[in-house]
Amino acid sequence: MAEVRLEGVSKYFGKFKALDRVSFTVEPGEIFTLLGPSGCGKTTTLRVIAGFEIPEEGRVYIDGVDVTFKKPYERNTAMVFQNYALWPHMTVFDNIAYGLKVRGYSREEIRKRVSWALELLGLKGLENRYPLQLSGGQQQRVALARAIVVEPKVLLFDEPLSNLDARLRIRVREEIVLLQRKLRITAIYVTHDQEEAMSISDRIAVMDRGRIVQIGTPWEVYSNPANIFIATFMGRSNVLEGVVVGREANGLYIVDINGLRVYGTSRESLGEGDRVKVVIRNEDAELLEEDRTSPNVVEGKVVRASLIGFAIQARLLLDNGEIIAIYLKNKTTINEGEKLRIYISPEDVKIYKSLETVEV
Amino acid sequence: MVPPSIRRITGALVFQLDTPLTLLLLLSLTIFSAILVIPLASLLAKPATGISMDVVRGLLEYPYVAWPPLGEWVISVDRGDHKLVILRFKDMGVIPNTLIIAFSVTVLATLIGVLVAYVSARYEFPGRALLRILSLVPLLYTPFVNAFVAYKIFGDNGILYNAMIWFNLGYALEITYIAGVILAQTMMFWPIVYLNTLAALLQVDPSLEEQAENMGARGFRLFRSVTLPLSLPGVAAGAGLVFIFSMEDLAAPIAFKVDRVVSREIVRAIVGSRDIEALSVEVVILAGLLLVSALLWFIAVKQYVSLRQYAMIVRGGRWKPRVTRPGLPMYIVIYLAVFPLVVFSMLPQLGVLVYAFSGSWLGVLPSGFTLDHFRELLRDPNVISGLRNSVIYSTIAITLIVVISTTIAYVVSRVRVIGVGVLDLLATSPLAIPGLSIALGLVILYSIGPFKGSFLDPFSNPAVLIALAYSVRKGPFTTRAVYAGLQQVHQALEEAGMNMGASRSRVLFTIVLPLIGLNVMAGAIVSFVYCMTEVSTSIVLGALNPAQAPITYVIYEYVTAGYGGGAFIHLAAAIVTLIMVLQVIAITISNYILKFRYAFLGV
Repeated sequence: MAEVRLEGVSKYFGKFKALDRVSFTVEPGEIFTLLGPSGCGKTTTLRVIAGFEIPEEGRVYIDGVDVTFKKPYERNTAMVFQNYALWPHMTVFDNIAYGLKVRGYSREEIRKRVSWALELLGLKGLENRYPLQLSGGQQQRVALARAIVVEPKVLLFDEPLSNLDARLRIRVREEIVLLQRKLRITAIYVTHDQEEAMSISDRIAVMDRGRIVQIGTPWEVYSNPANIFIATFMGRSNVLEGVVVGREANGLYIVDINGLRVYGTSRESLGEGDRVKVVIRNEDAELLEEDRTSPNVVEGKVVRASLIGFAIQARLLLDNGEIIAIYLKNKTTINEGEKLRIYISPEDVKIYKSLETVEV
Repeated sequence: MVPPSIRRITGALVFQLDTPLTLLLLLSLTIFSAILVIPLASLLAKPATGISMDVVRGLLEYPYVAWPPLGEWVISVDRGDHKLVILRFKDMGVIPNTLIIAFSVTVLATLIGVLVAYVSARYEFPGRALLRILSLVPLLYTPFVNAFVAYKIFGDNGILYNAMIWFNLGYALEITYIAGVILAQTMMFWPIVYLNTLAALLQVDPSLEEQAENMGARGFRLFRSVTLPLSLPGVAAGAGLVFIFSMEDLAAPIAFKVDRVVSREIVRAIVGSRDIEALSVEVVILAGLLLVSALLWFIAVKQYVSLRQYAMIVRGGRWKPRVTRPGLPMYIVIYLAVFPLVVFSMLPQLGVLVYAFSGSWLGVLPSGFTLDHFRELLRDPNVISGLRNSVIYSTIAITLIVVISTTIAYVVSRVRVIGVGVLDLLATSPLAIPGLSIALGLVILYSIGPFKGSFLDPFSNPAVLIALAYSVRKGPFTTRAVYAGLQQVHQALEEAGMNMGASRSRVLFTIVLPLIGLNVMAGAIVSFVYCMTEVSTSIVLGALNPAQAPITYVIYEYVTAGYGGGAFIHLAAAIVTLIMVLQVIAITISNYILKFRYAFLGV
C-alpha cells in the first residue's frame, strides 16, 4: 500500500495551462477519484502520476519517493486504459504476462501469477484467445488482470468503464471496488460520471479547468458542494438568480427571486443586496398534499411532465414566472396544467455569490 | 556554452528516448548529415571560392542565357506532296530552357492530372476501374527508354510523321527539340499529379460537397468553389514534384537532342572528368540553382499544404465517396478525351515492350518477334555487373532505410520535442531534392581533404557513396509507410507497455514493430524497387568508375550508344522490361499489404 502525493503540480500544453497547482494526497489503500467535465485536467493528472506527462512545476511522490522525473517504466504504477490498450498481436496470456516478463520473472512464476489473475477475474479458459475475440467486458477484465498481476504500488483507472454499456458498467464498477478492497492497492480513478464517482470512491477530488476545487467523501461533496460549479455538476439541479434581502438569527439567508422569497444556506458570507445564484436539486422538492403556507412552500403549474423511471420529472411554472424541474417519486400520474404545491427545506437551498456555473 | 534552449531540447529527448533509441537516432542523423546536409552545403559553398564577376557575366551569356533566342519556334517545309510542320521551340540558353520546360510541363501535367483524377473520383461510368489501372501504367519507371520511345513516335521521321504521310493528309507533323521534351515529360509526369489529387479527392468529406449542393452550387461552380479548394493540397504536392522531376530529368533532353538544359550540363561536366579540379564553377552554380529552386518549391508546397489541414478535420468515420453518373457532355469528355489521353500516355511503356521483343524497329512497324535480347542480357558482362552492383547497393541501402526510417518515423510521431519537425522535414525532403545536386555535392565533398583517396573518394570508389545515397534518396517511401502504420497504432498500446515497466526500445521491438511489421516490409519493397531504378546519383557517380556502376548507368550508356535504333536500344529495352516487371510485382505486393494505393503517391 502506497501513498501518492502531488504538490503544486502545473502542466502546460503550449500556452494552455492544463493543470494549475494541483495538490492532494491519496491515502494508502483508498480509492481516490478525480471527477470533472471533459477538459478539466483529470486525465492529465493521472498521466502525470503514470509518468506520461512531465509537469513544468510541482512534485509527484509515490510511497514517499519523488518520482516527478522518473520514466513511466520506473514507477511501478499500473494503468487501466480507457480503451483497454490490449496488444492485439498477443494472446490474453501474453498480455497479462508482459509486465512479469519485463520484470524478469521465471517462466514458472509467470505461469503461476497469470493463472492467479485469470482465476481472480474469471478469465480461466480464455488465455489463448486474442483480444479481438473477446467481448468488451472480457477485454476490460484482461486489462484489469494485466494491471494487478504486477503488484503495482498504485492502480490508475482512466475512465475504464466508458466503453461498456450502461448495465455492464454498473456491474463492473462493483467488481472493481470488491477487487480493490480485496487487494488493498491504492487506486486513483478518473471519471466524468458523478454517479460512478460517488458509488466507488472513498474520496473524490472535483476538478475544474485544471484546478482541484473540492476534495471530500462522496457525501461531503454531494451534500455540501464548495461552489456553484460543483453544486451544478453533481446531480441535476435548478439555478435561479436572486438578491439577498436578509438573514435570520439561525443563519439562514432570505433571497428574493423575482418576487419569490426563499430561505436557504450558504458556505459563503453574504451581505444584503448581494446578487446570488440559488441552486435547488431536482430531488429535493417535496410534494405537499395539504394546503399549507410556510416559508419555502411554492406553487406552480405543471407545464411538462415526463417519466424518467424512478420518478416523474415535472417542470413547474412558478408564480414569479420562473420554471424549475423537480422529481416526484410517489405520484403515478401528473397532468400537464395541474397545480402543485411543493416544499423545499432551507437546508437544500444552496446560495452562491460567485458566478461560476457549468453546463451539464 | 550551450544555449539553454538546446539544453532543454536534448534534455527532453534524453528523457523521452532511451539509450538504444538515442543511438539509432544519432546514426540516422549522421547519415543524413553526411549524405544530404553537408554535401548540399558544400555544393552551395563551393562557388564562393571561385566566383568572380567574369563567372557571373558568363552565366548571363551563351550557353547559359541566349538572347535573342536561337533557332526557330516552328519550321515548315514544303515537300511537294506534303507540307511538313516541325514544332520545336527556340533555344534560350541553359537556365531559361530548364525553367520554361519545367514550368510548361507542370502546367500541362496539372491540367491533365486534375481532370483525370476528378473524372475518376467523382463519376461512375463503365470502364472506370480500367481507367484507374491504365493511368498507373505511365508511372512505371522505364529509365531513358521511355523518352527514347517518345522520340521514336513524335520526333524526326517518327511514326506520327510516317503515319500522316501514309494517310496522305497533305501535311505532316514532327514534334522535336524543346517542344518534344515538354511533350515527353508531360506524358511521363502527369500521373503524379493525378495520384496525389485522386488521394485528396477521396479524402474530402462528401457532406462538404453535399452541403454546397444543398446551397445551390452545382457543376463547375461546385468544383471551383468547394471540390478543388479542398483537394488543392494534393494538387500542389503533385505539381511541386513534377516541377522538380522535370528540372532534373535527363532522359527526354537526351532523346530529343536538347543539350542546353541544367541536367545535361551537370552530367556532361562530370562524365569523363578525372578529378574535382576539372569541374567548372558554372556547373556547380547550376546544380546549386537546381537545389535552391527545388527547395523553394518544396517549402512553399509544404507550407501551403500544412495551412490547409482543415480538409481532414471534418471527417467522422468512413464514408462512401461521392460519385455521380455523368451527363452527356461529360460522357463525351470521358470517352473522347480522358481515355485517349491515358492510352496516349502509355505509349512509352508499350514502346519499351515493342523494342524488347522485336528484332528491329527502324521504320514504322517493328519486325521479328524475338526473345533474343533477353538471352543476350544473360551473356552481357556489363549488364551482369550492373545488375549485381545494383542489387548489392540496393540491399545495403534497404537495410539502412529500414533502420533509419523506422527510427525517424517513430521519433517524429511519438516524441514531443521542439525541433522534431526538422527531423520530419529532413526525412521527407530527399523526395524533392534533385538527385543531381546531391550527387554533385557528394563528389565535391568526398574528393577533397581527408577523403581524397579514402574508401569514400568517388573518383576511385563510388560504390559506398552510391549505396548511401540510395538509402537517403529512397528512404521516404519506407518512412511514409511506417508513418501510416504508426498512425494506426494507438499510443495507449505503447503507454500500456511502458506502464508495465518496459523501456521505449523494448516497447518498440515487442509492441510497435510486430504491429507495423507489414508496413515496414511494404515500404521496404517499394524503396528497394526505386533504389534499383535510381538514375541521378547512379549516373553521376557511376560514370566516375564504370566497373562499379549500377544497372541504370548501363541503361544510360546503351541508350546513348544505341541512338538511331541500333541493337543497344533493344538490349536497354529488355533490361527496362525486367525492371517494369519488378515494379509491378513490388507494387502489387505492397498495395495488397497496405490495403490502399500507396506505393505511387508522390513518387
